[in-house]
Amino acid sequence: MIFNSLTFVVFFAIVMVLHHAPFFSWDQKKLNLMIASYLFYAAWNPPFVILLWISTVVDWWAAQWMVRAKHERTRKAWMLASVIVNLGMLGYFKYGGFLLNNFVELMGTLGVVYQPPKWDIVLPVGISFYTFATLSYTLDVYLRRSKPAKHFLDYALFVTFFPHLVAGPIMRPTELVPQFEQKPRITAHQIYFGLGLMTLGLFQKVVLADGFLAPVVEKVFDAREGVPTMLDAWTATLAFSGQIFCDFAGYSSTAIGVALCLGFAMPDNFRFPYAAVGFSDFWRRWHITLSSWLRDYLYIPLGGNRHGQARTYTALMGTMLLGGLWHGAAWTFVAWGGLHGTYLAVERWLRGRFAGWKPGPGSIVALGLLTYLLVDITWVFFRAKTFTGAATMLQSMAGFAAKPVPMIALLPMVYALAIVACIVGTHWAMRGKTLEIAVERTPAWLVSAVLGVMGLAVIAEQGKGSAFIYFQF
Amino acid sequence: MTASDRPGQAQPVPTRDIPKQPWGRIALGMVATLLLGVTALEVNARRIGLHAGDIDNSEVEWVKERAHSERADVAIVGDSRILFDTNLDRFEALTGVRPVQLAIHGTSALTLLEDVADNPNFHGLLIVGLADTMFFQPFDGYGGYVRHRNDFKSPSGRIGIEIDHVLQRRLAFLDSNYRLSVLAHRLDKDFRPGVEGPLDDIWKIQEVGERRQTWMWDRIERPGPLQAHARWAWKGFKEKFPFTPQLIAKGQARAKKAVEAIRARGGEVVFVRPPSGPQLRVNEEAQVPKAKGWDVLLRNTHSAGVHFEDLPASVQGLTLPEYSHLTRKCAVVFTDAYVRRLTQLTTRLKLRADAPPPLSRADCVSAKVASL
Repeated sequence: MIFNSLTFVVFFAIVMVLHHAPFFSWDQKKLNLMIASYLFYAAWNPPFVILLWISTVVDWWAAQWMVRAKHERTRKAWMLASVIVNLGMLGYFKYGGFLLNNFVELMGTLGVVYQPPKWDIVLPVGISFYTFATLSYTLDVYLRRSKPAKHFLDYALFVTFFPHLVAGPIMRPTELVPQFEQKPRITAHQIYFGLGLMTLGLFQKVVLADGFLAPVVEKVFDAREGVPTMLDAWTATLAFSGQIFCDFAGYSSTAIGVALCLGFAMPDNFRFPYAAVGFSDFWRRWHITLSSWLRDYLYIPLGGNRHGQARTYTALMGTMLLGGLWHGAAWTFVAWGGLHGTYLAVERWLRGRFAGWKPGPGSIVALGLLTYLLVDITWVFFRAKTFTGAATMLQSMAGFAAKPVPMIALLPMVYALAIVACIVGTHWAMRGKTLEIAVERTPAWLVSAVLGVMGLAVIAEQGKGSAFIYFQF
Repeated sequence: MTASDRPGQAQPVPTRDIPKQPWGRIALGMVATLLLGVTALEVNARRIGLHAGDIDNSEVEWVKERAHSERADVAIVGDSRILFDTNLDRFEALTGVRPVQLAIHGTSALTLLEDVADNPNFHGLLIVGLADTMFFQPFDGYGGYVRHRNDFKSPSGRIGIEIDHVLQRRLAFLDSNYRLSVLAHRLDKDFRPGVEGPLDDIWKIQEVGERRQTWMWDRIERPGPLQAHARWAWKGFKEKFPFTPQLIAKGQARAKKAVEAIRARGGEVVFVRPPSGPQLRVNEEAQVPKAKGWDVLLRNTHSAGVHFEDLPASVQGLTLPEYSHLTRKCAVVFTDAYVRRLTQLTTRLKLRADAPPPLSRADCVSAKVASL
């Protein structure tokens, strides 16, 4: 099920009624939420609920046996069992075809012709997200950062909680399980603000991302023939930077709003990333829950920055390459991650080399725009389906395309560029603030008008329920 | 603070501040805006000729009908001509059988014929409605409906469509051709040289009822800017690529293979060529001549077929407002004519004993127009 669908509107209305009904006990309400969450997932493809269940049960028992273990190697064995089951599921469903194709190509380069059976596995939606969430449970217990949940229901609800189940924010058990242990006090203002966040999120997704940005992106990136002009290539790439932000941040805003309406707090997943100055800053603002997950469970265990320069750069690059691969089973995603790893490494070296330099306001803006420009280069690899496609785009962006043709009509181009300019401008205006502070400082009539117009725009756009980009990850 | 500020630690329960605002009044204001806005959208939609009950065509609906076709006695595949020009009620009144409508606008009938050939559960009569140039073109148009049909089978998608239909039966403004972004993009009048803007595409020309019954939108039936745009957007059906003998031969071979597959398991296939206006016919005939397209198709596949040019004079000269599709009333006449002919050509379809009397052009073309 997706948030921008009529099915979800009905589903959410029913969940809200049941959750706020006075005649259910807190345990009953949690059970209702868990059942609703399983239904939410099953609405996509019922049999795949089994995978969710496997992940839930395996990690629950792995953590239980870990704390009861008398020897460190037993603890480690249970931790490894959890990692193997979760990454095994992820590997099979998400990377099986990719690994097989690469094996066939490798055999081909060695002169061996290998024709494997057809690999036709459906990718379970959200598998990358919920396996990471359950892994953080067992890893936190193993690393002694937290204790296992006291009740299975609280833990199972943490895994399946539908607002974050299929596309994050990737929650840690210590963030969510304690919230389930006691009945929260939900105020009317909380529900109103939650509904406001949902309106904002749906506006970003349905109107901006799907309505105005995606058509421009598809016109160029999915063109069957012809090479784009420099203007078209840049417009499409900038439009994609807007699309992926609005799509994903829109999802996160909606998820946070839904959780708030139910009385739960979820963390921010985006903090105005297109106003980032440098790539460390970018990754503290973009998909925060993923970058911090990779930092805590991959980068730091690989050594982090505590074992010398070489190990630091290796850990950094390894983390970003795997982070790229997490996004999709294709080398273009690995290249995307590799580029970010390179940027981070170069930035780290430059910071060390010019440690005494304090940039002025003009330099900060220039560095911020440079960061945004370099991020846009990486988006080309993220969106293009092949390296050939990416190379064509980059060639056009650099002005070296042979016989380029215009592809985007004028008004769609103007709308897309105006929207992207507004997004980047808003990010810069908000880079030191939070949305909550900005809303508090805005006159009430303006907040009401803006939300009303956003809601009306969503209805007028009649969002046809296209899936969020991150559902495929 | 976020998790990015707390490396290597157990993350605490997040806090979410609620901005201090009179949220009750804000919510009231927002609801008032929404109610006023939706009312204005609905009033305007009805003013410009949109109707409640016009259900958007959708992939999910097609997938549903495809599932129905597996037990059906008769199914129809093809492009928008057979989609618009078949009146399912008339078909049922004549034969007692209501066909399953699987035609898709902008899609080669050959793609859909092959999809039925690949479906081992279809054993009925397949009516293939075709426009010659679209049938033999090298790409399948909206073939995504076929390729991605498993993507549209989720319980959530199906429930969503049912809810969507409940709303569309009551609200006129819910028309995907009149979405905010579509209207905004259509303000572009090919301003950028060398780029075909949104106005170059055919726009809303149809309305869709239950079970994919499709007919021409009444605003296209009347002279005016929308009719003029539709006529212009077809660009005379002059395709950008050449219909070489090899391309046509490839299409003929694919069609033969598909028809044989359907017949091998007890099904039957007939072809129907709906009318097109002389303004398009001249270009269609230049690109895929009847003698090399239609005639060879019937011969190669050993199939019966009804070409509109071979129908009685009483049903010639039906009204095609934008040259490519019949008016709603004339679609009933054409259906009457081609179904009667099919009952003579195949034993899989029989005329009911109490079938209504035949229709003619006079039933859909006024005497005044007919005399022009």
